[in-house]
Amino acid sequence: MSGGPLIVQSDKTLLLEVDHPDAKACRMAIAPFAELERSPEHVHTYRLTPLGLWNARAAGHDAESVVDSLIKFSRYPVPHALLVDVAETMDRYGRLQLVNDPGHGLVLRGLDKIVLVEVAKSKKLAGMLGAKIDDETIAVHPSERGRLKQALLKLGWPAEDLAGYVDGEAHPIDLAEDGWTLRSYQQEAVDGFWAGGSGVVVLPCGAGKTLVGAAAMATAKATTLILVTNTVAGRQWKRELIARTSLTEDEIGEYSGERKEIRAVTIATYQVLTSRRGGTYPHLDLFGARDWGLVIYDEVHLLPAPIFRFTADLQARRRLGLTATLVREDGREGDVFSLIGPKRYDAPWKDIEAQGWIAPAECVEVRVTLTDAERMAYAVTEAEERYRVAATARTKLPVVKALVDKHPDEPVLVIGGFLDQLHQLGEYLDAPIVEGSTTNKERERLFDAFRAGELRTLVLSKVGNFSIDLPEAAVAIQVSGTFGSRQEEAQRLGRVLRPKADGRQAHFYTVVSRDTIDTEYAAHRQRFLAEQGYAYTIVDADDILGPALPQID
Amino acid sequence: MATTFADHLRSLTDEALSALVQLRPDLVVPVPADVSALAVRAQSRGSVARCLDGLDEFTLAVLDAARLSRSAETALTSIDAILELACDVEPADVRVAVERLRVRFLMFGADDALHLVAAIDEVTSPYPAGLGRPADFLDPQAAALCADKAKLRRTVLAAPPGARAVLDRLAAGPPIGALGRDSQPSAPPVRWLVDNHVLVPISEAGRAPRPDGELVELPREVGLLLRRDTGPLGPLRPFPPIPEGTARDPKSVDSAGAGQVMEAVRSAESLLEALAAEPAPVLRAGGLGVRDLKRLAKAAGLDEPNAALLLEVTHAAGLLGEADAAGTSRSVTVSRASGAVDEIFLPTGAYDLWRALSSAQRWVSLARAWLAMTRQPSLVGQRDDRDRPINALAPDAERAGAPQARREGLLVLADLKPGTAPQVDEVLGLLAWQTPRRARGREAAHRDALAGAAALGVTALGAITSYGRLLFEDVDDADGDPLGVHPGATEPPGDVVRTLDALLPAPVDHVLVQADLSVVVPGPPEPELAAELDVVAEPESAGGASVFRVTAASVRRALDVGYTAADLHSLFRRRSRTPVPQTLSYMIDDAARKHGGLRAGSAGSYLRSDDEALLAEVMADKRLGSLGLRQIAPTVLVSPLQVARLLGGLREAGFAPVAEDAGGVAVLTRPKVRRAPTRTSVAARLTEQAGPPVLAGPRLAGVVEQIRRGDIATRAARRAPVSVRAANGQGVPGLTSVQQHGQAMAVLQQAVREKARVWVGYVDSHGATLSRLVRPVSLSAGYLRAEDERTETLHTFALHRITAAVPDEEN
Repeated sequence: MSGGPLIVQSDKTLLLEVDHPDAKACRMAIAPFAELERSPEHVHTYRLTPLGLWNARAAGHDAESVVDSLIKFSRYPVPHALLVDVAETMDRYGRLQLVNDPGHGLVLRGLDKIVLVEVAKSKKLAGMLGAKIDDETIAVHPSERGRLKQALLKLGWPAEDLAGYVDGEAHPIDLAEDGWTLRSYQQEAVDGFWAGGSGVVVLPCGAGKTLVGAAAMATAKATTLILVTNTVAGRQWKRELIARTSLTEDEIGEYSGERKEIRAVTIATYQVLTSRRGGTYPHLDLFGARDWGLVIYDEVHLLPAPIFRFTADLQARRRLGLTATLVREDGREGDVFSLIGPKRYDAPWKDIEAQGWIAPAECVEVRVTLTDAERMAYAVTEAEERYRVAATARTKLPVVKALVDKHPDEPVLVIGGFLDQLHQLGEYLDAPIVEGSTTNKERERLFDAFRAGELRTLVLSKVGNFSIDLPEAAVAIQVSGTFGSRQEEAQRLGRVLRPKADGRQAHFYTVVSRDTIDTEYAAHRQRFLAEQGYAYTIVDADDILGPALPQID
Repeated sequence: MATTFADHLRSLTDEALSALVQLRPDLVVPVPADVSALAVRAQSRGSVARCLDGLDEFTLAVLDAARLSRSAETALTSIDAILELACDVEPADVRVAVERLRVRFLMFGADDALHLVAAIDEVTSPYPAGLGRPADFLDPQAAALCADKAKLRRTVLAAPPGARAVLDRLAAGPPIGALGRDSQPSAPPVRWLVDNHVLVPISEAGRAPRPDGELVELPREVGLLLRRDTGPLGPLRPFPPIPEGTARDPKSVDSAGAGQVMEAVRSAESLLEALAAEPAPVLRAGGLGVRDLKRLAKAAGLDEPNAALLLEVTHAAGLLGEADAAGTSRSVTVSRASGAVDEIFLPTGAYDLWRALSSAQRWVSLARAWLAMTRQPSLVGQRDDRDRPINALAPDAERAGAPQARREGLLVLADLKPGTAPQVDEVLGLLAWQTPRRARGREAAHRDALAGAAALGVTALGAITSYGRLLFEDVDDADGDPLGVHPGATEPPGDVVRTLDALLPAPVDHVLVQADLSVVVPGPPEPELAAELDVVAEPESAGGASVFRVTAASVRRALDVGYTAADLHSLFRRRSRTPVPQTLSYMIDDAARKHGGLRAGSAGSYLRSDDEALLAEVMADKRLGSLGLRQIAPTVLVSPLQVARLLGGLREAGFAPVAEDAGGVAVLTRPKVRRAPTRTSVAARLTEQAGPPVLAGPRLAGVVEQIRRGDIATRAARRAPVSVRAANGQGVPGLTSVQQHGQAMAVLQQAVREKARVWVGYVDSHGATLSRLVRPVSLSAGYLRAEDERTETLHTFALHRITAAVPDEEN
């Protein structure tokens, strides 16, 4: 028994005790092949997956070194069967290779003929493979590259993709590092991405994902297509790129509902790409409009299904996915990995907070007790309406007001999911509302006013879930949400995580109605953040309201 | 011969005799009366075969040489003759082998006049060393060929390649082959060989022709010629093929093994837990169904072969048993109730005791059961002779030789240097050398033994572990007990447990509680802690450590079994090495607050009143003690008695209760007085005697009216129109029946509208034709409803039965 920090579980999860003196070394050793699943305060959970092990193989780690580090850091004897399984899994990688043959173009080459015969027979690959060139080689149509890789992965014989990437149309892009430099983790993320060719970088909100994208562009030095969630986010990208890189305004095009510019660097919204006209997607041609050298997917956890399909055809181009939370409520994380690429970089939120790159945040769950009348109304509500009734209880209003008053000098965002409630709040707090129907112009104006400090309180609907850069927001108050969505909670916390000029703490309040389904959903929503090490404090609304209880009319 | 043999035995020293008995212990069971009896037994087939079974490949080869070199006349051989045959190896090694045969008395006599025990020929192959019989014994032409050495060599050299291949195969032994049918590709070369007398067809008299053609034999002389390179006996291996194996660090072997030990113990436990949660039926043919095996394997996170192995082992260890399904019918849901399930598999009582042991002790009891069990788990999932799948725990997987196979396999590993990890095939090769006669056909059993050893952690990384070695030696000691008593059998051998304990992680008594409500036990939990966590949290992952998650449901479960919120708080405070997160405390409090908010119970009747004082009075009334009243709310009392008795009791005590029904409405009951059945008074007879009653008043008028109406109707009936009467009888000239029917419908529809009376002719259910004067009311759905004024009844006529309808002209 070595007394190490790692405990290997039979279900292939690895438990890392964070307070152990060797924890850091262990983390470095297992990070290449194990995926970080949860990182609460004491014990982090990693998981060994075939995908993770194959990625490690692709990155040059062999089974021996994986087994060695497991044994070296394990506190208890590691079951023999698990070690055998790891070795066997890793051994499956690279028996097949996708290579560019000078004579035949893209081919699938089997270093192990039997495996090649096995996969060639598989029904799942029907139609993807072309003519058999010789015993070890089968031709592959370039457009099937992504789907073939995906199918081979499902068969358990991942192909090593040696066919490389097209460089795309060259375009000079440099980082303009005047007075700032790329943070160490951003550099690591870019390096990890570039070494792998394509993949996903997971960084907390506010940790500067845009800069990772910019740095990737500066490395690629090629025309770039950036896909973002909405127009406002697109304009933020544009602003950031102009400020941080050698790109000028003329080089960056916006491809949205309002404008259709295609330039060396083009920023397009998911919405415009997936808009349908007569059963077709007229704007998907954008992918082929130029010889893109790099495609960046912002907020990749929101990537819509049609873009997934199209991404399968883009396997020869470098792809970078950016997200804070690779938790898709539709469970399609696997598709993100296989089509855009594996996770290339991931860091626990708390680590980045400890380095001071995101603001430390205090998460507080405020529980309000419903009045008897409200409780009665809730009790007799139909099941599908229950959450709305509980989440929009009027009792929450004075609590929100008290919370806003508690931070008199700080910019406050109030975020909710139900428009009626937001309008009530807007009136009650005397604050403007940004909702889906607010025009882009009005949004920009309000956000600018907020950034400038002219506006202290802003009420946001679901549009506030992502990609709004309001660096000065220090307090977020969540009054209702989309049921139990975990990524929404994380994104909302992300709104206040941008580091503050004076390094002060951010506050994230979520107001829930006690003893209702609201509490249950809140618990579910908090799970992702709790797993990232954010411990929620629960306080009673009465403590917030203080002695003088404001009356509701 | 027997006398010679007995004489030889008799001439032995006591030491030599005891050496013989030691080598062939079956000779003295039971103890023979005298040396002659011993001699007879030593020459018996059974004893000789058993003795040969224990001999290694080389010794058997030397024995073959001895058999080959016997002179035809005297049936004697000599060491020199044997040495001549075994020319490739050191004579010393051959002498040692001969000595081995002599001390076992398979061979006896002087060096130049060695006897072989006759039974040897009966229990061994008729072709010693894989060589055929001499040519002159088989066929004169072949003998002639063999006599001419040069010609024989030429013939063999002239053989076409196909024929040469056949020759080589037969020369390697056994020297018998089938001629094959002419269509087979191998037929022509063999035919060539037969034609040239290199092969001799051997036909067994009185046997039906074999489907694969005649048998052919390679004469001994030809065989010897072909074995020029390898020597007359074929390749000889005087020394065992010791597996080289990979050298591994014994420490890492032990460590990997210990990991597997924990895994095996844990998996066995989760298998049995899954079985306890949902017992599986015993199949009619015995054993566990495929689907149940799949289910259990999935529940325990194992693959099916390993699940089958562990089920077999736990069954052998007495942790798993069959129980009568009837006794558990209500409390336990048996999966898949196909027909009547008589027996189910359930963990036994011993399982609960086993669970209380330390990991090492638990493993030792499993491992010892595995060593001793006469089962071959690798057969599970394969198909038997009748192509039916073999089920786990089924009688088909029984193999008596399995324990022996395990001992042999593990002994090979145990004889190697610690940490040596040979390939499985190397081990099998050595086993085949050590006891070729026994190893034949047992390869599967040996593979099963090695696979089982790896799965249980007796071996790891291909080498035997230090504790595995001990486990094995302990068993050896027990076997060596002359009285056959196993003193250590009831308690696990201490050495293994101690060695293993040092390798296994020490149990921990604390947990780490985190804000995401996960509870991590950083090591194997103490039994007490495990029991506590089982109740208050849901298991998430297991292995070296266990991860649990506290959920609202698990907290409620804990409250249900009697924990209070304070107990739970103190449990987590006591057990957690880390501060208990606030979310957990809140969750416990929330759950505790809601827990028991609703109360349910059963009562025979209730008593309610808006007047609390009245209920208080009832409660205080001592006379009502027998009613068992209990106050469950200020305005409600309940009683286990039925309503009637409750009411009676209350009334007796002077209260004025009223019963109410399910809707809360008062049920008023009058006291019922008992009466005999009603009888008529004899006074009624007075009127009978007085003659017919005198009618008067309205009643009289009614009678008269009835008579009149009847009369009118009767007259009317007599006057039923011709058309109706005609339709009923002979038909109306000029109209088809269809037209008549259509006309009738029109008449009826008209009559319904006008509420007029109509003559209807119809066929009744007996086929009789009738006509009736009626007033139609409605005509729909294939029926006519009409009232008959005479009888004041409403009639329904099926439309298809109506033959005619004529309006009544009288009104």
